[in-house]
Amino acid sequence: MKYYQPTSLTELFELHSTLSAQSSVFLAGGTDLIPRYERGLVMPDHLIDLKKLSALNQIQDSESHVTIGALATIQDIQEHEILATEFLALHKASYDFAGAQIRHRGTIGGNICNASPAGDLLPALYAFEAILTLSGPAGERQLAIKDFILGPGKTALREAEILKSIVLNRDQYLSDFQKVGLRQSMAISVVNVAFVFSRAGETFNHLKIAAGAVAPTIVTLDKFTQAFVQNGGNATAIKDLIQEDISPIDDIRATASYRKRVLTNLIGAFLAGQTR
Amino acid sequence: MLHHTSPHAFQLSVTVNGKLVERKILTHLRLLDFLRNDLRLTGSKEVCGEGECGACTVILNGRTVNACLILAVEVNGGNIVTIEGLAGTNELTELQRSFEDHHAVQCGYCIPGMVLTGEKLLERNAHPSRDEIKYELSGNICRCTGYHKIIDAIELAGGDL
Ligand SMILES: Cc1cc2nc3c(=O)[nH]c(=O)nc-3n(C[C@H](O)[C@H](O)[C@H](O)COP(=O)(O)OP(=O)(O)OC[C@H]3O[C@@H](n4cnc5c(N)ncnc54)[C@H](O)[C@@H]3O)c2cc1C
Ligand code: FES
Ligand code: FES
Repeated sequence: MKYYQPTSLTELFELHSTLSAQSSVFLAGGTDLIPRYERGLVMPDHLIDLKKLSALNQIQDSESHVTIGALATIQDIQEHEILATEFLALHKASYDFAGAQIRHRGTIGGNICNASPAGDLLPALYAFEAILTLSGPAGERQLAIKDFILGPGKTALREAEILKSIVLNRDQYLSDFQKVGLRQSMAISVVNVAFVFSRAGETFNHLKIAAGAVAPTIVTLDKFTQAFVQNGGNATAIKDLIQEDISPIDDIRATASYRKRVLTNLIGAFLAGQTR
Repeated sequence: MLHHTSPHAFQLSVTVNGKLVERKILTHLRLLDFLRNDLRLTGSKEVCGEGECGACTVILNGRTVNACLILAVEVNGGNIVTIEGLAGTNELTELQRSFEDHHAVQCGYCIPGMVLTGEKLLERNAHPSRDEIKYELSGNICRCTGYHKIIDAIELAGGDL
């Protein structure tokens, strides 16, 4: 296996064009990738480490946006002040994430590109309607996160393309995040959910709920929130209403019906807290 | 051991415990194997080999990481501190002494990782609460002590007994 550390995107794409026929893989923090090799997956002929692309590890803010480089670590996100104040759901997700050693190494780009149905940063990114900037030999393009993640482990990345950054609008919405696992820390989510909202007195002006581990990808509960906002915020039938948005499965961590119940309760608790 | 098809050499240059080390290594070598087998720094342990337990914790460029999840090539140009490099030879840090004083060690397998994680916490926050200590230690598993004495050792490090 050959190992490369390109320091610019130009260098990266030049390198990739010479390797196209053989197997090559991008490496960020390696916290998803290396365990796969430990479990027996054969390593690629060419491993391209993205970590020296300094253009990708900053978190930048302007008046209207925050732009998070794909190589920002979970710890970088946890420690960022604007994210903690204006994007609380994302901050909380980075706080409830693994242990310190993994947070120091794992990146937001890796969490997105890994496209796990349970990825903990993803519900917040869906609920904030994050826009992803992708960079490839043919140039840059932008996609909404919901159009980027296509299925478990599947993304819209083209050959040689990388995720460059994540753009969040500074809409000044309120937000929250909850995660339920089999124990409090170091556990893969059985259900995780992010709420992004704004309120005018008793009613919601804006309400977006995104949940993980209840379908092949993160889902936004749009049918539920629409019905909920329309009929004046009656939450009694949450379980029936979210039915149409989710399709949980049984696995080693939990049954589908348990997942549905947990999500129903988390949404119910959130709404009760807001309308009290 | 990682599965690969074509072995490839790499000239690695890395600072370990304050000394510059230059070695020719294979690209699929894990940092943990490099430290334990090539440099004979066996204080970092392997237990789970997949990032869950923290027994392989080392400090890379100032931050704790799992050496079992990193390839040695990835730390080229970097700075590593292992448990062996924390204090001088035959010396202990205040925290290491506190682990002794509070009987926080049983089999010892998890302890190098616990100490390094604790040192980094105390560096940032000299008087962490027990909840802050628990949060910081969530990537370090101990199967002997039940954690209380480890938390005591970190909470009371540097204080009188
Ligand atoms: C012990 C342990 C605990 C964990 N706990 C959690 C948890 O609580 N919550 C959670 O969500 N996850 C958890 N994870 C999973 C993992 O840490 C995260 O998904 C992390 O964000 C992955 O980032 P990485 O940089 O390490 O990805 P890598 O392993 O480097 O990459 C993952 C995949 O994405 C691709 N990739 C990475 N960056 C880019 C890019 N910029 N452009 C294109 N492709 C890219 C890689 O090719 C690879 O296929 C845990 C993992 C371990 C080992
Ligand atoms: S051996 Fe590395 S985390 Fe367990
Ligand atoms: S002392 Fe034995 S594992 Fe912690």
